[in-house]
Formats: sequence, structure tokens, C-alpha cells
Amino acid sequence: SWRNSAAPPFERPGERRGAEMKKLYGEDAAKILAMEAAMQLTFDRNCDLKQPKYWPVIPLKL
Amino acid sequence: MQCGWPLLGPLQWIRYVNKLVKVKAGKDEEHRGWLLTVDPVSASLVLVNFGEGEGASVQVVMGHAVEEVEVLQEANEEITDRLQASFLPPRNRTRLDP
Amino acid sequence: SIPTSAGSESDAEQLQEEQHARSVLRETFLRCLLSISNKKVQFRMHEKVKVDATFGASDIDVLNFQVSDLHTPIGVQKEALIRCQDVISFTFDV
Repeated sequence: SWRNSAAPPFERPGERRGAEMKKLYGEDAAKILAMEAAMQLTFDRNCDLKQPKYWPVIPLKL
Repeated sequence: MQCGWPLLGPLQWIRYVNKLVKVKAGKDEEHRGWLLTVDPVSASLVLVNFGEGEGASVQVVMGHAVEEVEVLQEANEEITDRLQASFLPPRNRTRLDP
Repeated sequence: SIPTSAGSESDAEQLQEEQHARSVLRETFLRCLLSISNKKVQFRMHEKVKVDATFGASDIDVLNFQVSDLHTPIGVQKEALIRCQDVISFTFDV
């Protein structure tokens, strides 16, 4: 097969992230995933609500 | 520790935890503090300095800006307890081996 | 998945140790970030830029900080995103 056998077909992003997290964090993966999800949700919600603009407009460090 | 800080990995970073470290970052910044943790995603360090009272000052040094990390003093039990209690819930904490 | 080739028992052990270290470090860092919410922070940035702001939230990849009341050299920006790449360090009190 042309495909890498490690990558199943039609993999959903959520599943892949779960597998990556499992590899990185082992048995604590679910806990870390949950904490990250809560934090990202806060970030996304704040950005939706407050529509912050980048400062400075041009990055200081490229 | 010269450069390469972001590449060290969790097993190396965790050896710095609870120790007093001096961190050089950017062109001319130098920070000292007790190392609470290193973010394994960004390699950023969290340093804590205790004041006279209950409070503490916290510095987060971004991993990408780190030039050098040097251990100044080993962990001691009192500082370790204070560190781990500083802004974390006291339960569910796994004590790190020194 | 964990490699299971012959003689890899110590590899698996080391992997587990590394995973444990990574999760302890990450959990503490995430708790730290969460605790900064609504606190006054001072950012030290490249090009000797120093700014004060009220911390909002960080994204999980630590690429952007969402802040309010950012005191820039030319005035206050009510809502802002700061690129973590621009930041050398930031400070707050607990």
C-alpha cells in the first residue's frame, strides 16, 4: 500500500489528537486534554467576545 | 546549561524543578527564582520569588527566549512545600522526587 | 502506540517516566496560566518594550495571550492579542 501503515484511513482530527496526547502524556492524557480544552474554550470565547487586535500590529520578532 | 533549552525534554527539565535557578533570556534579561515548572509545549519556565508575607512574585520566561539556565541552589523541603502550595490546589499534587 | 520490540522493557519504562514527567510539568503550567486570569501582568518584550496589561487567557499552544487594558507606549488598547514570540518574559504577583 502507498499509505504508511501507521496512519489509518479517514482518520478524524479528534482521534488523531487523542492518539498524540496518549503518546505524549500516557495515562494522564485524558486529564491534560480536558484541562487544555477548557483553557482553549476560554481563549476562543474571549476572542469572540472582545475581538482583540494584535499588538504590536507588526511582530517585533519574526 | 547552554542554549538548546527547548530541546532538552521532560526528563531533563524536571530535574530543575524546585531548584533556585538563574535564567538568561533575550539579549539582556536575567531572572532568578525557584523553578515551579517548565511547560513541555513551549519550554517556558515559571519562576517564583517569595516575599516577606504570604505573597509571591511569579516570572514566566518564554522558552524561545532562553539563553542559559543555571542551578544556584538545590531544592529544600520548606521551599518545595511552599512552591507546590503557592497557587495550586493542595490536593491531587504528586510530590516530585528531589 | 508504545513500541514493543524485543528487549524494549526499559524503553517502555523510560517512555512511561517521560510521559509522567511531561504531564506533571504541563498540568502545573496549565494551572499557573489559569490562575493569572484577571491579574495585572507586566510583559518584557523584544526591542526593550515593556507593557502592562490585565491577563485574559492563553491559547494551549502558547502562541497568543489575550489581554485587556494594554498600556502601550502610545496609549491604552482596550483589548489586545500579544504574540508569545514577541515576549521574553512576564511577571505577576500571587
